[in-house]
Amino acid sequence: MQIGVVTFPGSNCDVDTVKALTDLGVQAVVIDYRNHRLDYLSAAIIPGGFSYGDYLRSGALAARAPVMAALRDAVEEQKLPVLGICNGFQILTEAGLLPGVLRPNRHGEFRCDWQTLRVAAESPYFPGLRVGDRLRMPIAHGEGAYYTPPGSLQALFQAGQAWLQYTDDQGQLHALTNPNGSVANLAGIQQGSVAALMPHPERAMHRYLGSDDGHKLLSAWIDGIRQEVGHARV
Amino acid sequence: MHASDVGLTEAEYQRIEALMGRAPNDLELGLFGALWSEHCSYKNSKALLSRLPHEGPHVVSGPGGNAGVVRLSQDLDVAFKVESHNHPSYVEPVQGAATGVGGILRDIIAMGARPIAVADALRFGTDRHSMALLHGVVKGVGLYGNAIGVPTVTGDIGFSDTYRANPLVNVLAVGIRRPEHAMGANTAKPGQVLVLLGQRTGRDGIHGASLLASRDFDEQSHELRPTVQVGDPFLGKLLMEVTLKCVEEGLLAALQDLGAAGLTSASAELSESSGVGAEIHLDRVPLREAGLTPYEIMLSETQERMLLVVSEENLERVLAVAQDFEVLATEIGRTTESGELHLFYEGAECARLRTDWLVDQAPRRSVDEPFWEGLAQAPKTESGEVPKFRSEALLEVAGSLDARSRASVYRQYDYMIQTRTVYGPDRDLAVLDLGEDGGLALAVDGPGRWAAEDGYAGGAGAVLRVLATLAATGAEPLGITDGVNAGNPDKTDSYRAMGALIRGVADAARAAEVPVTGGNVSLHNETDGESIWPTGVIGAAGRHPHPKSPVPQNLGKVGDAILLIHSGSRDWGASVAERVLTGRVSAYPRTDLENAKSRLKAMTEWVRENPPHALRVLGDGGLGMTLVRMWAESGPSFGLQLSLPEKDLQEKTRLFFNEAPLQWVAAIPMDKLAEVTRRLEASGLAILLLGEVTEGGMMVLDGRYQWSYADLMARWRKPYEEVHDEL
Repeated sequence: MQIGVVTFPGSNCDVDTVKALTDLGVQAVVIDYRNHRLDYLSAAIIPGGFSYGDYLRSGALAARAPVMAALRDAVEEQKLPVLGICNGFQILTEAGLLPGVLRPNRHGEFRCDWQTLRVAAESPYFPGLRVGDRLRMPIAHGEGAYYTPPGSLQALFQAGQAWLQYTDDQGQLHALTNPNGSVANLAGIQQGSVAALMPHPERAMHRYLGSDDGHKLLSAWIDGIRQEVGHARV
Repeated sequence: MHASDVGLTEAEYQRIEALMGRAPNDLELGLFGALWSEHCSYKNSKALLSRLPHEGPHVVSGPGGNAGVVRLSQDLDVAFKVESHNHPSYVEPVQGAATGVGGILRDIIAMGARPIAVADALRFGTDRHSMALLHGVVKGVGLYGNAIGVPTVTGDIGFSDTYRANPLVNVLAVGIRRPEHAMGANTAKPGQVLVLLGQRTGRDGIHGASLLASRDFDEQSHELRPTVQVGDPFLGKLLMEVTLKCVEEGLLAALQDLGAAGLTSASAELSESSGVGAEIHLDRVPLREAGLTPYEIMLSETQERMLLVVSEENLERVLAVAQDFEVLATEIGRTTESGELHLFYEGAECARLRTDWLVDQAPRRSVDEPFWEGLAQAPKTESGEVPKFRSEALLEVAGSLDARSRASVYRQYDYMIQTRTVYGPDRDLAVLDLGEDGGLALAVDGPGRWAAEDGYAGGAGAVLRVLATLAATGAEPLGITDGVNAGNPDKTDSYRAMGALIRGVADAARAAEVPVTGGNVSLHNETDGESIWPTGVIGAAGRHPHPKSPVPQNLGKVGDAILLIHSGSRDWGASVAERVLTGRVSAYPRTDLENAKSRLKAMTEWVRENPPHALRVLGDGGLGMTLVRMWAESGPSFGLQLSLPEKDLQEKTRLFFNEAPLQWVAAIPMDKLAEVTRRLEASGLAILLLGEVTEGGMMVLDGRYQWSYADLMARWRKPYEEVHDEL
């Protein structure tokens, strides 16, 4: 099984992501933004960073890179599992592969901190993650306020697309635990085979780094890919 | 053009004419102006800095290069250095701070090392404008560090009116490299190609070194805004990747970043340190806008540029690597055997100078033995009356700017990227896990108030505190870097204050047997005739024995004994509490340096052989605030039951709030008390049992003073922007 780590010139979490996948016993291959072919991959991750400097709007330019057209084809034609992390989330919304957008944090500052998340919806791509499970992971972003037009939020929850939410340490949802002004404390969204989150699972691989819940999330995803690969794609 | 147009004196001009045997043309004069500036030549500080100890068993390369390098393990070198960007950050805080980060990162890259950490040491005034500067500077540090993907893992902040018009922005960067990838500016050979890599050259930052960084501020300083450069971390990242790839492939003969004084200092310093000459064709330098003169091209401080020296056979590959990252790489000239900097524009010669005139012949102030000896003399100062102890005092100190939690600053920095940060900015030091190569401990400190009345004591105190911070986690110091910030060196008092600070750093480093491997001096931190406190920012890099499990910095376990480990002094001079409670700053206590080494060693060995449940160096705000910080990590379910031996209320204040050197607070199992006491007392340290760790969210002292967790945390965690109740 090969998982592609899609990198743009300004990606900066690519090395950490490759390290995390390698720790999980998966073969990670770096996919340059100029690539046109992804059909040999079992799945792809778009890691964090500042893809093209992001002076315009995070992810806006990256969404138009050649590799994103190939990624879109692979999602539409082969249901390629894709996971976006931080800037990867921004790129996936800019590319229209996930609903909604990510706006600048409401307080106007970059925010790096530890944050507890709650699983709000289950998915075949993350077997083992149950609704209500708590995960502790770092966030580090300036534009992470998830936004979706008025009236569309309920549909997002009903469709199980509202995937992860920011909570307090006990898993309770309230405004004080919202680090960036996301609607409904949303931290992660999923749609079909595509999922993305602002927090960084690749930074939460070991307890000595503060938490190994990222290990839990990425392992679940890899299990999901193995099952999908076993049933549908081989 | 006149000498004063480029920041030189008439006497310096005479010297230039004497060296050259003719009058310089305007371009040549500009080159002298840049390289003979305080910022580039260290003309007022070099003789003082040469007195610092530079040798040590782990030193790979010391001062003189772009950064000091120490050996962490058989397979890993660590390059690290602190640098200042004070003047630009006052004029334009966001870009001033951002380019400060970019600049020191390129210094690290120029040693062939990949940056893995940044630390920031900031000083501001206390008025509203200062808070706006703080906001901008923090944004700028994050803007560059977060985007280029280097974590800001630790730092230090301080406040005083003395910094109101001269804020300090010192940034320390750390990089790692395999020893075989060692790189520097001193290895070029004649006949090699000079390749300029990175950003197109524009008109930004011309005279940054000579006019902005090497002069005092006055009311016209805002007109200097165009001398501040603008940073582009995206290009900075690409530049880093191209450069390091070329280093790893062994393609480069030598390497120099373009910083202050741009191409002028890069070409002259590289040539001089390699013992070669350089022939540069300025019309080949890619420009951002048409029409730059040779003068502007040589003096521009456009960011994100590197000068590579490449042998003919590697040129094609270097250009291909740059092209793959879509970074501009241009052949601009060659190294020669002449020892001259020889500049051409469209085929015509426009400057011809010996590089040693530019680099080595700058007039420098000398320091004689009596002056150096005199710098260690203690000033005659008075300390005022110490107020009686009362419980509100701790709340006031907890909420003061200098003792407050730094969280509102560091949470704007990505401190976890690269996934090595075991201890980050919420601790006293950073501990980074480097896998098979072990661990790196990084501490930075240097309270300006300690040097306000006695520069020597302040310099020595800062060195001892960073080393005590490393010792608290069992790390072995490999080297330190010093950032000296002071006033106008042409004034006797300011010069002497800087000298005393450096003398204190030198004596403490020598006593502790830790080398100073590089640093930075920023002078002219003076506005309308008022100088800042001389401020020495000291950074230390250490080898950590077990980075995945550093000693905790909390309160340990319920029932643990809480100890103060000290070196005898209870002088509260220059402490946060003295300022907050009395409004005065008296002299910081001096300590007998002869015993410093053995005390630090005793602590390091104890921590390594028999780690306590928790241990913390005594920090800003003294014993009281150190306990508060330990408590903050344990949380509200913990508490403290303490008693001080002193009955006298003034003595209680001194004991609870002094910041004298070489003190720690430890939590150990109660039944180990006798053993620990015996062990540490044998090395000249003193132990005071303060009490024990309890349950239940209260700290009780002597049965009558008490504080709740919630009250203390509410004060301590206030963001800096809320200053209305300050001073």
